[in-house]
Amino acid sequence: MKTPVLFIFILLCCSFTAASAQDFPFGTITTQEMNMKNYAKDTSAHAVVLQEFGKSRIDIGGDDRIKQIYEYHVKIKIFDSKAFDKGTVKLFLYSNDKSDSYEEVSDIKGVTYYKDDNGFTQKVELEDKKVYPVKENKYWASHKFAMPGLRNGCVIEYKYRIESFRWYKLRPWEFQDDIPKIYSEYEVHIPAFFNFNASIKGFLKLTKNTAVIESGCFETHGAKSDCSLINYGISDIPAFIEDEYMTSPKNFLSTINFELVDYTSPYDNIKHKETKEWKDIDFGLKTEPEFGGQLKRKGLLKDKVLPIIAGKTDDLSKAKAIYQYWQKWFKWDKIPGIYSESISKAWDTHSGSVPDINLSLVTALNAGGLNAETVLLSTRDNGNINTLYPVIGDFDYVVAKVNIGDQVYLLDATDPLLPFGMLPLKCLNDKGRVFSLDKPSYFMDLNLPQREKSTYALDVTLQEDGKLKGTLTNYSIGYEAYKRRVAIKKFNSIDEYVENLNERLAKWKILKSEVGNVDSLDLPVVEKYEVEIDAYKKLDENNRLTFNPFFFNKITVNPFKLTERSYPVDMAMPSERRYSIILHLPAQYTVETPPQNVAIGIPNGGGKYITSYEPGENSFSFTYLTQFNNSVYGPEFYPYLKEFYNKIILSQKGEMVFKKK
Amino acid sequence: MRSFIVSCCLILSTTAATAQQNYDASLISKDLLPYASAVVRNDEVSVEVKDLDNVIYHVKKAITVLNKNGDDYAHIAVYYDKNVAIKNIKGLVYDQFGKQVGKFSESNFDDVSVGGESTLFDSERVKHYLPSVTDYPYTIAYEYEEKFKFTLYFHDWIPNDDIGVAVEKSSYTFTCKPDFKIKYKEINLPEKAHIGTNVQGMTTYSWTINNLKAIKYEPFSPYFKNYASSVEVAPEKFQYYGSTGSFANWNELGKWINDKLVVNRQELPYQTIEHMKEITTGITDPKLKAKKIYEYMQNKTHYISVQVGIGGYQPFLASEVDNQNYGDCKALVNYTQALLKAVNIDSYYCIVKSGGQHNISLQNDFASMTQADHIILCVPFKNDTTWADCTSQTIPFGYLGDFTDNRTVLALTPQGGKLMRTPKYTAADNLEGRKAKFVVSAEGELAGTMTTTYKGVNYQDCDEILKEAKTEQYKSEQRRYPINNMEIENLNITQDKSFKPATTETIKLRARDYASFNDGKIYFLLNPVNRETFVPKQLRNRLNSVYITRGDTEEDEVTYTLPAGYRLEKKPLHVNIIKPFGSFFVTMELKGDQLTYKRKLQLFDGTYDKDTYQDLVDFYQSIVDTDEYNVVLVKN
Repeated sequence: MKTPVLFIFILLCCSFTAASAQDFPFGTITTQEMNMKNYAKDTSAHAVVLQEFGKSRIDIGGDDRIKQIYEYHVKIKIFDSKAFDKGTVKLFLYSNDKSDSYEEVSDIKGVTYYKDDNGFTQKVELEDKKVYPVKENKYWASHKFAMPGLRNGCVIEYKYRIESFRWYKLRPWEFQDDIPKIYSEYEVHIPAFFNFNASIKGFLKLTKNTAVIESGCFETHGAKSDCSLINYGISDIPAFIEDEYMTSPKNFLSTINFELVDYTSPYDNIKHKETKEWKDIDFGLKTEPEFGGQLKRKGLLKDKVLPIIAGKTDDLSKAKAIYQYWQKWFKWDKIPGIYSESISKAWDTHSGSVPDINLSLVTALNAGGLNAETVLLSTRDNGNINTLYPVIGDFDYVVAKVNIGDQVYLLDATDPLLPFGMLPLKCLNDKGRVFSLDKPSYFMDLNLPQREKSTYALDVTLQEDGKLKGTLTNYSIGYEAYKRRVAIKKFNSIDEYVENLNERLAKWKILKSEVGNVDSLDLPVVEKYEVEIDAYKKLDENNRLTFNPFFFNKITVNPFKLTERSYPVDMAMPSERRYSIILHLPAQYTVETPPQNVAIGIPNGGGKYITSYEPGENSFSFTYLTQFNNSVYGPEFYPYLKEFYNKIILSQKGEMVFKKK
Repeated sequence: MRSFIVSCCLILSTTAATAQQNYDASLISKDLLPYASAVVRNDEVSVEVKDLDNVIYHVKKAITVLNKNGDDYAHIAVYYDKNVAIKNIKGLVYDQFGKQVGKFSESNFDDVSVGGESTLFDSERVKHYLPSVTDYPYTIAYEYEEKFKFTLYFHDWIPNDDIGVAVEKSSYTFTCKPDFKIKYKEINLPEKAHIGTNVQGMTTYSWTINNLKAIKYEPFSPYFKNYASSVEVAPEKFQYYGSTGSFANWNELGKWINDKLVVNRQELPYQTIEHMKEITTGITDPKLKAKKIYEYMQNKTHYISVQVGIGGYQPFLASEVDNQNYGDCKALVNYTQALLKAVNIDSYYCIVKSGGQHNISLQNDFASMTQADHIILCVPFKNDTTWADCTSQTIPFGYLGDFTDNRTVLALTPQGGKLMRTPKYTAADNLEGRKAKFVVSAEGELAGTMTTTYKGVNYQDCDEILKEAKTEQYKSEQRRYPINNMEIENLNITQDKSFKPATTETIKLRARDYASFNDGKIYFLLNPVNRETFVPKQLRNRLNSVYITRGDTEEDEVTYTLPAGYRLEKKPLHVNIIKPFGSFFVTMELKGDQLTYKRKLQLFDGTYDKDTYQDLVDFYQSIVDTDEYNVVLVKN
């Protein structure tokens, strides 16, 4: 199995050997670049990056403050109009209304080279007034421009410079994009005052990796230092193509990331540790006003919590009461994150982000005398976290963990339909870091024993009028119950839900319905329907009746259709579906062709499919069951999954035949 | 994505924060509750035209949200730009008993840019806010004022423009000086306008409507404005960005748009004009000349939306497109007109309401600025009026597809605005025709070649796949066709871009385990690729007539060579359904080892009585059932 490789480079050591690289010159074009008809290494590419060069350095800005200065420069060959979108560029800049924290873009230059109607190479430059600045919202601004003069076969080249107050967050570099690149290089200049860890993600290997010392490159208020000048380059980068059932492309894209380890203030020479060890991060979180600071505000919530748990004697019911109260009290504003500005403000407005709601939940649980901690995690879309060295920047979500006896429950109060102890799908990703005010932090596996499970039982009698009449009982268990509740709550009432269900099943008539436990989140959702199904026209006309025993969710199309696969197949969580049918036949009929009993498995206990037929007296019962036991299957399992479905489909093609005696 | 008029999508919402009103949720009539997740308690919009460049909207609205699904209806969004100013937004929040529990003001609103994914720049912005209330039901009552610096258009009044909301009371009042003349159009209103004079001597027009039930989604419905209640108001004399005008009909409005916004924007560099002459030398047929020039334009330009102020209605200069190679629909049509003019071909700039789901026409009897959102090109050759959309790099000259087909549009001619009709694609035109020859082996493998032809609006069915790299095209086809284990040995997609365009896709394929074996019998699906799985939902009380926007035809013919020594177990399938709105025929015939399957499905466009709906559901159910048919072969 191929796994993305994660390397570490510590940037402390430097050699004096390698020569310093440079950005390629702006505004030049070769005949060869103009005449390129396609990219030989990927002839189907609509565009290819000819050269790409990025440079980040920590330096002193015009306002005498430490800044990160980022310069980007790229030259792209566009073969045809399908890649014209590469000519539209949107730069997003942090720009907070209420503080002086902002990023500025400058030196935007662009030029397009094309062959005119007579075959001569011409160039047209991007006009300054055609760069549009937009204040997007409270926190973000953007600059957008479209390269002029695009046409098939043109080459576009543009560059820009961004000055950011966030010197401590050195820009990551994405080597891979949805078009191939001939060469991509990133250069960083880091004054000796600052110390970063670099890590590389993805399948690709660096073709250039040099480091030299640049002397006397940084100076402020009399403090001077040398810089590390490091160049990372990769040639012949293939286009990145997303597949279905892929967790997050971020886990597989070739990227280089930086994390600040420590720095010495050039002003007073005091050393600040950043991410050296978990205990440093623990200390940082504990003293952070927007994290530990909020967890310490037990006093604030005590008055609110005591009435909620009044009369409750055991810890579990106390925890449940607080959790349910929190779910009802807050409306999530759809913002994720790990830091809360103020849990009291969120409390007062009934509205908050993930950290507002879940940090206050942890504080409330502790205020109620329970043992609660926080769990920091990275959601599925955000990708896996780096576990090689401590990094706080990878986390984008926080949930509560309450320990009762030897049981552990993870809680997310942002969704009112989640039962106590269940996390939403987006949180089931890799590992989480458990953090509390009084103990060292540690990793916990987020592959929880959470699964989705449903059973459908149909018990019907074939009537003389050709209709099947009887009952359908459906249990939705675990995560499936949550999904079912979400579906039911999309309607204004249960009656409207059932009405819609009936509308969708043209051959079914729902005569009576009973939907239970919709609001009892800890229990399975139970649906019972009295049904009448149009199966045949009239019985007396036929000596033989064919019947499809795969009454529900018959699979006819394989979800896995490709020849091969290079990424793991992510099914999110184990699942089980069981369907059973009991059919009572009229006295004059008997089963001529029963279904075959089938049992298929996925290697290493990955899953199974089983059908079982049992004849009765003028009746039969038939059950089929599909089970997936893993959340993630490696790419080497792809052929097995494909074949597993293939066998299921073959098994479900068979039909039963009933014959008149 | 192609926006012509930027600022016409203002969400007109309204209401009263008057203290006297009782917002107790239990006072809502039971009749209004079915299918409603929110109920508008009161909605008052008043429009006051103070002058040609000064219009004040007063909006007051109270809405009770019954459950979580209704939250979005409480989301307040007010659009503005340099020509529209927002004032005095404020509101109150009430609990289910009508007791005030909170309030909000402009400082609670977020202010964001409007431009979407395909927009480079849009000067319009929106202030929006969603109060956070966790106990249902709750009511929010808010009000605000907007000042418009123009009178070119007014917002429509549509008391109930969304599914899932009921309306207790909604009203609209239009106030102006007696000499400010308006035209208005009332649609599905129980009562006509009350026209009067207020104490200041101003003329007032007012409309009120009560107790509208929530609209429930019904498939195959006509365009919602055909059944919803609404009033549209248009001025006679108006002002817009400093220029004045007046119109009484489409002819005059078209003339004003042409004279003030479009004319004199088609100058081109000399070289470009010469080049157009050059590339058309030797072509005598004007239509082929135009095609040549259209293709030149397609190869040179691409669509990017930039909307700034008056530019929301005015095209970029042709010379600018010539230099930048991009523009929005207005700019690209204007540029193409300029290129055509270089070879003395006249053409019209045409204003149209775009969209594939419904073909929405401009209203013959009511001219206004707010009915359209896109621009296309019309070239009036003698006895052969030809149409083109200039925003695509790939479609053939003369092809509109389902985006702007079969509808009334406004053409800007030298004689003023003229209503014209774009061509219709009939059921026979819209074809997906397939011929396949397969061999089913004794091991159950399916192998052979399948050729599919797409015409009419279906011409574009392969466009997304054609955009992909070849290796990805194979994967896309594997995903698209429901044949398991399909290995593609060869794939070829070609497009004929003549005046009768067609796309042809040929796939040579192989699929193991297509057939399965049980009890000595062989089973396989008779319909290998074109199985219908959709059945429109049944409805107890259908309210709307059945509307089929455009017809189409699917025609499949598949021949299977079967393993030797087998016969059919069941009677061959034979289906023959003819309905006013469509027909469905299937036949199946075994001759020797050759099994031939033919399927033809047609839908006919039109409006049908609402009672036809159950017939349509049954029609689709029959198709789905038939398409599931399994061939069962037994040994001779």
